[in-house]
Amino acid sequence: MTTTTLQALVSDLRRALGPRHVLDTPEDLIAFEYDATIERALPDVAVFPATTEEVAAAVLLARRYGVPVVPRGSGTGLSGGAVPVNGGVMVVLTRMNRIVEIDTLDRVAVVQPGVINLHLQEALAPHGLTWAPDPSSQRVCTVGGNVANNSGGPHTLAHGSTVNHVLALEVVLPDGRIVNLGSRVPDAPGIDLRGLMVGSEGTLGIVTRATLRLVRASESVRTFLAVFDSVEAASEAVSGVIRRGIIPVAMEMLDQEIIRIVEPRIHAGYPLDAGAVLLIEVEGLAEGVAQDAATVEAACLEAGAREVRSAEAKAERDALWEGRKAAIGAIGAAAPAFYLLDGVVPRTRLPAVMKQVMALTAEYGFRCANVFHAGDGNLHPNIMFDPAEPDAERRVLALGEAIMRVCVDAGGSVTGEHGVGLEKRSYMEWVFRPADLDAMTMARDAFGGAGFFNPCKVLPGGHGCATGHAAELAAVMSDPRVYV
Amino acid sequence: MTNQPTESVRHAMPANTERGPEAYAIDGLTPRLAFAPDSRSEAAMLLRAANAAGLVVAPQGGRTATGFGRPLTEYDVALDLRGIHRVVEYVPDDLTVTVEAGITLAEVQRVLGEHGQYLPMDAPPDDHVTIGGLLATAKTGAWRGHLGSPRDHLLGVEVALPSGELARSGGRVVKNVTGYDLHRLHTGALGAFGVIVEAAFKVSPRPAQTMTLAAPAADQHEAMRVARATWDASLATRALTLLGGAAAAHLGLPARPTVIVEFAGQAAAVERSAREFEGLAGRTETPTADLWRKLRATHGDTATTVARLGVPPSLVADVVASAEGAGGRAWGHLAAGAVIVHGDIGVDALRRLRAMAEERQGFLQLEHAPVDLRREFAPAEPGDGDLVRALRDRFDLKRTINRGRWGSGL
Repeated sequence: MTTTTLQALVSDLRRALGPRHVLDTPEDLIAFEYDATIERALPDVAVFPATTEEVAAAVLLARRYGVPVVPRGSGTGLSGGAVPVNGGVMVVLTRMNRIVEIDTLDRVAVVQPGVINLHLQEALAPHGLTWAPDPSSQRVCTVGGNVANNSGGPHTLAHGSTVNHVLALEVVLPDGRIVNLGSRVPDAPGIDLRGLMVGSEGTLGIVTRATLRLVRASESVRTFLAVFDSVEAASEAVSGVIRRGIIPVAMEMLDQEIIRIVEPRIHAGYPLDAGAVLLIEVEGLAEGVAQDAATVEAACLEAGAREVRSAEAKAERDALWEGRKAAIGAIGAAAPAFYLLDGVVPRTRLPAVMKQVMALTAEYGFRCANVFHAGDGNLHPNIMFDPAEPDAERRVLALGEAIMRVCVDAGGSVTGEHGVGLEKRSYMEWVFRPADLDAMTMARDAFGGAGFFNPCKVLPGGHGCATGHAAELAAVMSDPRVYV
Repeated sequence: MTNQPTESVRHAMPANTERGPEAYAIDGLTPRLAFAPDSRSEAAMLLRAANAAGLVVAPQGGRTATGFGRPLTEYDVALDLRGIHRVVEYVPDDLTVTVEAGITLAEVQRVLGEHGQYLPMDAPPDDHVTIGGLLATAKTGAWRGHLGSPRDHLLGVEVALPSGELARSGGRVVKNVTGYDLHRLHTGALGAFGVIVEAAFKVSPRPAQTMTLAAPAADQHEAMRVARATWDASLATRALTLLGGAAAAHLGLPARPTVIVEFAGQAAAVERSAREFEGLAGRTETPTADLWRKLRATHGDTATTVARLGVPPSLVADVVASAEGAGGRAWGHLAAGAVIVHGDIGVDALRRLRAMAEERQGFLQLEHAPVDLRREFAPAEPGDGDLVRALRDRFDLKRTINRGRWGSGL
């Protein structure tokens, strides 16, 4: 885009949204060139709409000037989904942060996309209600981002991902139309465009309002810390619990590497000499919880747990969870840089896959800390490295790729909850056949946003998109220095 | 000359897959051809051949929901999926199962039951519905508000397209955001974007204990009070249904508004739930063991008109009372806001009920009814009309699968 054209676009956007809500200087835009991954690219202009109509106006202007549109919430995404690789207009939705309605009678909430996940939870808590998705970034991440990525979290194990908790969406389409998908009352006859929109990572539409299904908070919750000598033993306990016919609401694993990073900083109470710990949570009626608790304990002991600690009081439970939720941040303090991966495998393959992950990490000469959703088979290896070392980035990304390959070969997939984004586009061909990808392309094209709405995301290929795997992509981008 | 298209389809299919078309009539139309392929690739071959020949295909399984959607206006070829019925993969410790679409829910439950597991789905009329039919119609029963809908348990599908391709989305792992979730688009789409030939599900452990109780109430208000209090108490509930008096009588209970509830889970949790329910209701009875089976069968009855309404939970009792006032048998699954009306209550009463639901952002869907009634009560727009048309244009430009089910031109 020429400077003159860009200036014209900026002044049109200023007229539509107000001068204060359009940023176009490099020093302002630099804050919007990255999410929580390695890749970065500058948008041409960032806008901050306050209403659905302003989002639609921005989309129509971008369309008229022929530049891409990239939506963004808090920028906590872990797949490069909000990185504007082809520049264009970044639509930042953080001003649309109003909780429109909480209907306690029918258990429905209506929110704007910029509402922070935790702010919604805090507003619901006095009513004894909750919105199930609880990504570890919930203090910062937005509901709109959760919808775009179909986010999970520790409690996905029992409650499912975001898509299971979204009733309806108001969406701005690539042609600027405002449509309502889904229905406030569930199961309306018709085509489930809501289900397709959730997890489409901003490539099909921009969510401007979400109607959410709420659930009642459980009467009783108990959290266990089970201490093991090895990841293998802890994985066996995960299978043992499931084999006994119990699905806890969460089963999270931390390996030795991450325990030694987290414990000195957070003091969650994880033994420093443990090979692995499991955080297991059961909830429900008090009577059922007591019975489940006994079963969980037995399964852990049988798998070789050296200690099973039970926390019932809220303060105790919060301390155990604090270690889990702060783990990723703690790695940031412990290593110059790290690369967080997201893979998923059938849970019975967990022990074998973890062995392969550790062997590969050693082979590439890195250290790796693991903190992940073991109950779902959802791995999160964190490869720690020093970007000052020669060739470190390329080797880290190559290792990431090798680990993704292990997940796919085990019958799993390349992302359990972080999304495909930019980073994993090229891995799509490992998981899907050409006919599968063709069908996804047909679906995307029906929305009319190809090359316009968040280009170069989700599907491989595309006009003007760099090709190749993450390692090659990073090489073509300027100065990647942000890793977490 | 006129037989050329059908001959080209016949030619494309193995001779042993052809069936007599008489058994496949839908909406008063008998197809010219019928096939029951043995494999997913044969199903795709049939679609490709019919698409090339310009013929209309109606896929079907147990034929328990042929009254869904608008009446068919053209119908050339029946695609019977019951021959495609393998369990493709079942790993009990992963709590996942992958099956072909023609298998019945009953057979899946039998296989899973051997390992103490089940699919938490109770679609009407009974477990002889096929998995493909259950997904294509997104039918749900009394468990829906507590255990989720088929969409929530579905991990991935493979569909056969009119192009003859087989296309997958999702996978077999329990948590997966790789690519677009086309499997959610296919669920409830009545084949608009391809015929589901395989599906992978999350499965659940069977509850250690279940218990069903009935609480007859003095009137509709009292029944709603009990139902609402039960829902709010967050007990170990798997089903919570408010029966109108006529519906209760139809099930062999006293002809009074009645709350029926099923508790499921650990024995201690079920027993406490039962005690609390008795406390809330004052008086409860233990109904006969086949109560839920009878209710599902009535919901899936194809001998009369059956309507399903979606309303906010707080409106369920009013809609049940209104439907029974018009001469129907009605019941509502409280947590899902689903009200089922069984019986021919007349077009004016149906219009009144629909208005009642739509006023609160709800809906009325006829699940079985005479053809003229189904034309009148077809959903106005299946989601956003322009988007649905654009999707249909890409997946099935010639409208080979179920032409007209979603309206003219769709």
